[in-house]
Amino acid sequence: MRFKTSDIVFLGLACAGGLACWYQGGWPFVIAGLAEAVGLLLMVMPQLVAGLLMGGLIARLVSRDKVASLLGRQSGIRGLLLASAAGAVTPGGPFTSFPIVHALWVAGADAGALIAYLTAWALIGLNRLIVWELPFMGVEFTLVRVLVSLPLPILAGLIARMLVRSPLLAMKKAPAE
Amino acid sequence: MIAAALVIWAIVVALAVPVWRREGAHGLKAASQSALDTGRALMIRLPLALLAASFLMQVLPVAKLVSIIGPQSGLTGILLASVIGGLMPGGPMTSFPLALVVLQGGAGVPQITALITGWSVFALHRVLAYEAPIMGWRFVGLRLASSLILPVAAGLGAQALLILIH
Repeated sequence: MRFKTSDIVFLGLACAGGLACWYQGGWPFVIAGLAEAVGLLLMVMPQLVAGLLMGGLIARLVSRDKVASLLGRQSGIRGLLLASAAGAVTPGGPFTSFPIVHALWVAGADAGALIAYLTAWALIGLNRLIVWELPFMGVEFTLVRVLVSLPLPILAGLIARMLVRSPLLAMKKAPAE
Repeated sequence: MIAAALVIWAIVVALAVPVWRREGAHGLKAASQSALDTGRALMIRLPLALLAASFLMQVLPVAKLVSIIGPQSGLTGILLASVIGGLMPGGPMTSFPLALVVLQGGAGVPQITALITGWSVFALHRVLAYEAPIMGWRFVGLRLASSLILPVAAGLGAQALLILIH
């Protein structure tokens, strides 16, 4: 376990947040924040471990050639549609989706497909829709938001395929397995 | 929440079976090893990120938010809501309750659509806690650049759709 720069950023953020809480409401606010954080951590841990395992297992199951032909640079709009559909049905939070994205990257998916997948997961993920948005925001709001969001993953994937050609935003080569 | 966890673990088992049948214990071990490698980056960061998000939730000024993203705020409101959404900390368990409070407080539907879209695609805390450690900053930069117009597109789309159905 090593302490890196971004860990220090987080430590700073947590301290600043804690200070702001203390400034506004004293210790009760700080303790409420702490309790919330512990609760969240306990809640996501089992799913995080499952997500990491899913990523590792998928990396063993899918063949590089297949992913590259289905989701690679030459996969066209079909590849983006497929990636978006996969993203929309991926269950769980970032603790499941990012390990899967990493596995797909290693297996040969291109930037456009990865970004279409993530955007679909974030915007029209069925799991979040059913568990969170419908109960909180109601049917009408959810319908309006989902309808206007349907084309967005494809759009993001197309933009990514354009941007990735510029040297400034070119992708690193995928890490070897 | 428990149902969601059960479904996810069922999928893990469903994936583990074919790996085991194809490669035996060796395949399962290799899969766990790669899971461990990816997970190591999160061990310090995740608890700190959750702590930061929980603290910030306690002090966010909701009433002020509502006044600048009302239904009459138009494109400016949509732009502001996109930015606010992107900076909003926490997962769906904190942001949907917050979005509901803001909507009931009188914010506009297109603006809240932009806010939720901004939160969904930019999600600063998610970038810092998961995306950057797992995928690297180059990927993050490319994805954010590709997603810049999405919240505004969603907000404007919602506005058009609302005019159409009402």
